[in-house]
Amino acid sequence: MDYDDSDRRGGPLSPAPAAVKFLIAGGFGVGKTTMVAAVSEVEPLRTEEYLTVASIGVDDVAGVGEKDTTTVAMDFGRITVSPELVVYLFGTPGQERFWFMWDDLVLGALGAVVIADTRRLQTSFGSIDFFERKGIPFVVGVNCFDGYQDRTIPEVREALDLDPHVPVLMGDFRQRAVSRDVLLALVDYLMDGHRSAS
Amino acid sequence: MSSSHWADEPLDDDPEDSFVRPYTITHGRTVSAHGDLTLITIVVALALPEEQLGTRGLEPEHRFILEQCRRPVALAEIAAGLNLPVAVTKILISDLITLGRVAARPPVAVAVGKRPDIRLLQAVRDGLRRL
Repeated sequence: MDYDDSDRRGGPLSPAPAAVKFLIAGGFGVGKTTMVAAVSEVEPLRTEEYLTVASIGVDDVAGVGEKDTTTVAMDFGRITVSPELVVYLFGTPGQERFWFMWDDLVLGALGAVVIADTRRLQTSFGSIDFFERKGIPFVVGVNCFDGYQDRTIPEVREALDLDPHVPVLMGDFRQRAVSRDVLLALVDYLMDGHRSAS
Repeated sequence: MSSSHWADEPLDDDPEDSFVRPYTITHGRTVSAHGDLTLITIVVALALPEEQLGTRGLEPEHRFILEQCRRPVALAEIAAGLNLPVAVTKILISDLITLGRVAARPPVAVAVGKRPDIRLLQAVRDGLRRL
């Protein structure tokens, strides 16, 4: 068996589609996997990644320059648009401070959905800050289970200090049509050319 | 090898072991020879003549990957199926690229601050509307 005989390599068994992804971000327990599950053609899958991160704890005097390895877990799903195009949806892990050292997270990302919970909007700040600084377009989705709404969209927009052109949508993301409409709003936003200029 | 990979799978529960054990599968290698592999790099097996389809020298995980990517599949999906971290899966897939057993297609390049190709966006939109 000669594995080095590259001259006789065949082609792929079937053509590989183009792949893009959307990132689904937000605080812990806010409904990221719920949205992935609502639109994915498969049950959400889970995978883990190791990140090597500098120790930057505020009380970390002795450990300057040291590296830590941390494990992050992601749930993700898939929408096969055609044999030529597949869209992946990745629920981002928490710990947004790690994302800046994780290039793979944003490779091939068309845009993002930041899911917000009106009872703890501050958990969305980390994601919003990341996408703004990275120049990744995003929309905000306010998850309202069973239609329960305690804040209006203008209130959410103000509390999150969003640029006026960033779309904000509300709904129960367990429903496929609602989660789909959030993603459609993101695509429309991209088509309008509102790429964040950073 | 476990093939269960659903979201309620408990995380590795032994922190002492969790970073070291997966790398025994790669014989201690922690860096992939093909550094450009990503979570959504699409991997597909190559069609080979019968005499080149052997599995000698391959780990069970390599054979699992070859089986899984008989149809195109994202690297992250392979990692989930193997129940191995992405970093380890990248090394195994890299081995198979070096051996000429699989091809890898990188994700669509998306430039920061620029609108993606409008036909691509339209295709994504059409796909979402069919959901």
